[in-house]
Formats: sequence, C-alpha cells, structure tokens
Amino acid sequence: MNLAQLRSKGLIGSVNVEPATDAEFPYGLGTQGLHEVVDEAFGDRAAATGFVFTATKPIRQEALFWISQASTRRNLGCLSEAALQEMTRRQICRISLTTRNSRDALWAAEEAVISGTVSHVIAEVDEADFTATRRLTLASGRHGVPITLLLPYGNKGATAAATRWRVTTRPSSPNSYDARAPGCARWSASLERCRIAPSAAGRTFDIEWNDETLSIRVVSRMVAGPLEARASELEKFQRRKTA
Amino acid sequence: MAVANQAARDASLHPGMRLPDACATLPNLLREEIDRESDDKSLLALASWLVRFSPLIAIDEADALILETTGCDHLFGGEARMARELSRRLDEVGYGHRLAFAGTRGAAYALSHEKAGAQSPAILPFGDESEGLSNLPVRALRLSSMTLTLLRRFGLTRIGQLYEIDRKALERRFHSREAAEAVCLRLDQALGQRPEPFEPFRPPPNHCVHLSCPEPLTDGTGVKASLSTLSDRLCKALAAKGLGAQTFIFRTFCSDGSVNTLSVNAARPACAPNHLLRLFNEKTDRIDPGFGIDFLQLEAFRTAPMSVGSRPLSGALAQTDVDEAALSTLADRINARLGEGSVTVSVPVSRHLVDTAEEIRPFAGEIPKCTLASGIMYGLRPIRVFDRAERVEVVSEVPDGPPLRFVWHRLVHHITRADGPERIAPEWWTYLPSSPGEPRTLPRTRDYYRVEDTKGRRYWLFREGLYGDKRGAIPEWFLQGLFA
Repeated sequence: MNLAQLRSKGLIGSVNVEPATDAEFPYGLGTQGLHEVVDEAFGDRAAATGFVFTATKPIRQEALFWISQASTRRNLGCLSEAALQEMTRRQICRISLTTRNSRDALWAAEEAVISGTVSHVIAEVDEADFTATRRLTLASGRHGVPITLLLPYGNKGATAAATRWRVTTRPSSPNSYDARAPGCARWSASLERCRIAPSAAGRTFDIEWNDETLSIRVVSRMVAGPLEARASELEKFQRRKTA
Repeated sequence: MAVANQAARDASLHPGMRLPDACATLPNLLREEIDRESDDKSLLALASWLVRFSPLIAIDEADALILETTGCDHLFGGEARMARELSRRLDEVGYGHRLAFAGTRGAAYALSHEKAGAQSPAILPFGDESEGLSNLPVRALRLSSMTLTLLRRFGLTRIGQLYEIDRKALERRFHSREAAEAVCLRLDQALGQRPEPFEPFRPPPNHCVHLSCPEPLTDGTGVKASLSTLSDRLCKALAAKGLGAQTFIFRTFCSDGSVNTLSVNAARPACAPNHLLRLFNEKTDRIDPGFGIDFLQLEAFRTAPMSVGSRPLSGALAQTDVDEAALSTLADRINARLGEGSVTVSVPVSRHLVDTAEEIRPFAGEIPKCTLASGIMYGLRPIRVFDRAERVEVVSEVPDGPPLRFVWHRLVHHITRADGPERIAPEWWTYLPSSPGEPRTLPRTRDYYRVEDTKGRRYWLFREGLYGDKRGAIPEWFLQGLFA
C-alpha cells in the first residue's frame, strides 16, 4: 500500500500545526495586553515572579522593564540577575526602576509602553484600580507592548486586565537524587478572570518548572502530598516514645 | 566694626574700630550684627543673576564680584553703556555698588575700591594701566596690612612711586623677601605683566543661548514658548558642530533680581529639541514668574560628539534588538520626573558574597555586557533576593545540620526538605589589617541551605559562622532570598 492509497482511504492526512492562539495557556500573558498576577498569600510573590518568567516566551529580544515599589522591595526582595539568567539561559537586557508609590510605578509603566522601546513591562504595585488598568490596557493595545502587573494578596477589585491569575506554591516534586532535598518547583496558578476566553475562567493549572530542560509542564495534583516536617533527633525520640 | 557706610565714614568712622569708640564718636550710630553666611548667600545670588551680563563671574572676598566682560561689552554697546545698564539694574534691586572696568583684575580692583563713586563708574582702557593707577594709594594693591605699614614707613604712598624703584633695592629695604615679592606680584598683576588666574564661581557652559523679552513674562505659557524657541536654537547650534549635550540648565531671570534654575540630564548626548522640551515639561511648573521674567537662558554642559550609527539592514544581522538610544530617551523622561538615577541596571560582578555579587548602577545610556567568566558552577540562586539579609530565629541541629523550623514575619515555618549547605567563604583579602598591631576582625563563613516549608515555599537561609570558629558569638541565621 503506497502513500496515495493510504491518503485516499483517509488513513493519513496532513497535519496542520497551528501556532498557539491567545485562547490557550498562558492566554496572552507576556505577549499582548495587560495581565495581572496576584499572590494568594504573603510570600507567594517569588512563585508569581517565577510563573511570569517561565510561562511567557518573549517574542522580541528587547529590553525588559522591571518596575518595583520600594515597600515591596523591602518586604519581598528584588529580582536577582543570577536567577533570571539561570531561568532563561540567556542574557536578558533589563532596566529597573524603584518607585515610592503605585502611582509613579503605573505612570512609568505607561510611559515605557508608549515609548515602545521595551518588549515587556513588569510592574510590582500595591494597588491598581479599574481606571489605571483600563489606561494601561488601551496603551498596551495601541503600542503592542505587553504589561504584567504583580499584585499583593487580597487584590479582588474590578479590573480591565485581560487575565487575572492567582498564584501560590505547592510542595516541590520528589528529588530523585536526594529524597530529603527539594525538587522541581511547583506552582498552582488559577485563572480568575479571562477576557479572551471567558469559558476558561476558573481553571487551575498545576505547573512544574524543570530547571534543567527550562520547560514547564502540567502535573497532577495527586502526585505529591504534604510532607512531614523535619524533626530533630530529640523530637524523633519523643515521638517514638509516645507511639 | 567690620563695615561702615558712606555717612559713617564721613563722620570719621572706619572699619576696624572698636564699637564703644565708634559709639562715643557718633552717639546715634545704627548698628547690626554681621551675618557673614547670609552675606555670602546673597552675594552668590547676585552673582548668578549677573550671569545675564557675562558667563564668567568670580566672587572676590566678601563683598566684590568680578565679571570677565571680554567680548560681552559690545553686546550692550560698549563699556560705558554696559556700566550704565549694570548700574540701573543694581539700583532697581537696591544694591549700593561701585563699578570699574579695566584690562586687568588688579587694576579693576584698585579703581573700584579707590576711584569709582556710586554713580560714576571708572573705566580704564586696556593698556593705560600704569598711567591710570599711578595716583591711587598703595592700599589699592591688595596687600597685607603689615606690608602696607612698611610701605608707609618708606614714604611710598602712591602706586606711581613704586614704578621707579629698583626691584632689588626694594627687597633690600624690606628685609623680608615675602613682603617684597608680594608688592612686586600685586604691582605686576595690576599692570598686566604677570598673569592672574580667574576662577569662575561656577563652570561656564559649553554652549549657551539666551532670549531677552521686551515685556516681562508673567505666566507659564510664555515661559514654555520661549523655552521651545531656545531649545530649537541651542539644538541647531549643537547639531551644526555634530555635538550633543548631557546636561541642560534653564535659567529664568526675574526683574526683581531672583533666578530660577531648572536642570535636566540625559543618559547619553542629546540634541533633539522635542526630547529636551519633554524633559523640561515635567519641571516648568516649578518656575515662579514673580514680578515677571525678562531674560531666559539655556545652557548646555557635558557636550560630546553625537554617536550616529546606522541601524542594521535586517533584524537577523543585529546583535540585539535593544535600541539603547531609544531606551535612554525613556530613561531620561523617567529620571526627569522621579529623580536622577531612578532607572538602574544591575551588573554581575566577580565577588563571593551574594550581597555584593550584583552591582546596581544608574542607567548611563547603555546596557553593560556581562564580563564574568562563564563556566563557574553555582548552586541554584533564588529569584528574589533581599537587599539586606533578614535575621530569622531558627531551630536547627547543632553544630552543622540544616534548619528544622524558623520564624519569619512572626510565622513559624516548619521545614520539610532541605538541601545544603553551599558554603560561601568570605573574601579574606578585603579584611586585611591596615597596620600589623591592629586586631583583625575576621569575617565568618556562610553556610547556605535551600529549604522548603510545609506550604511548599522555598527559602534560602544561611548560618553566619561556624560553631567554635572563634570569630564571634553563637552563629546567627539569616534569610537571604526566596526561591520561585
């Protein structure tokens, strides 16, 4: 049976690989429009930062503009260049700005979008109301520069952003080399709002980040349950005694 | 008594007198405590206001200003008319003054202090110094009081008398080499035979354009319109020479003698009027026109050749997509509004300690290339690092086990898994004692652990020091960063 026969019987056919559209994960995050990534609780900011950098594939190799607020920087640290290079394995051109309040940060984000010289604007702000997000959405649409806002936990109000993600950490994957050491990072990102694909709102993605292959994959929630806290020898002895 | 006005001097009071003597001579004497600091401040303000007459101005002692008017007087129609204009302006503001124009600084000093009157400026054409100064007293030569006493004892009271004296004879008479040299130096300087350095109170601009208004401007619209004219002219002048400037200063001179100064900086040389206007736009509201602005000046500092590069033909040929020139215009705008040095870049540096391994510098027009040797293997680094490691309370296995639980932000985090330690040794060469006897405080080794708590959050903790390393008390624990 030759190829023509197979084709005539409908057994084989040409496969059209379509490029990922916006209606698929990550729903345009980091490629177009305004997106919000919110922490689920205090301390989840590192997971949210990691999620933004791993879930987005930059289209253009232009500079990244990182805006942070002084209070956030004090409480949750600042972005580390070494880790960023580890995560992307290439040198990212990055200019940063630390502002005193959210207003200045949002103004700088809008200014950067209008200038069109950066490929991605990431701003960490304490709050962004509907008007501010609407302004940024319009500016982003007009100039084609994506904006991502990292917001603190408890941010629930109305927004004009295309998507709002709520990110938290999950226990890492088992480490095959050392059972006592943390493995690959896992996060749970739930899509709270999605203007591009409203039906997708409410979905939760459990993602595992592999720092060797630089890829993310969706994992089952069942894989790793909560682990027992480490205990000292004394505590172990006491536990054995009570048992 | 430090200073006396004309009326007091007429009543034979002179500076240097004791106050009780002066009061005895003139019972209804009005007096005030001298405030040198305010005097200096107002002299400086006056100097910056006089920039409209000449770009080179120096402050001389406590009560005099020197203007380098070479090439400036013709703009006012000659020295006499310039002097009249200066007088009129100073009278308007209410400053008493005595003006003198001369070819050398020494001659101008002598004339202004000894010859010029309040309404009659002394003007000495260039080259006539020896003639013009011959009748003035020797105290006009800026000499110390001891030297003046000596000169008086020899009967030398007029400057003209010094011309004839043989220099060597003068030295022999004085018995003091310094005093004789001082007399010769000051005399030569006044006559223009020896140079005298001129130190302007602020560096003159590389390029400068100005605009004087027939009618004083009283509102922001007028200021903005003039600024746009000025920036067009300045940029044209700069572009004609292929230059750009990194600092621009805009001064508005009010008719009441005050000056407003705005400055903007660019990350790389700029000469586009639009860019300049946008940078100033954030600040022009701060100008207070007061009673009206009658003179505006735009200065350019730190000029450098504009780097005009051609863009690569296609994106594939470009090394990066980053357009640094466009990035610096963005950075300039943000810096103009949020303060200089707001926009930063971080550069990895070859240091051991995590706190110093990344240097944050103001963005200076280009993204620095990473120059570190590649191939050095580190452990995993956290995505967020604290500027200062936070001290945390930790329960851990002594002496060198990983932590079991720790308290951060008043919450207890139970650790489920831990990885480490990654030992980062201190840079002992930065702690060398400066002198042999000095006790050296040795830095402590840090053991870093990557730990995960029950929620799955990953932290980077370190113990500073080892148990029994004899470099301090019991080791403490710190939180350095948060893993993604």
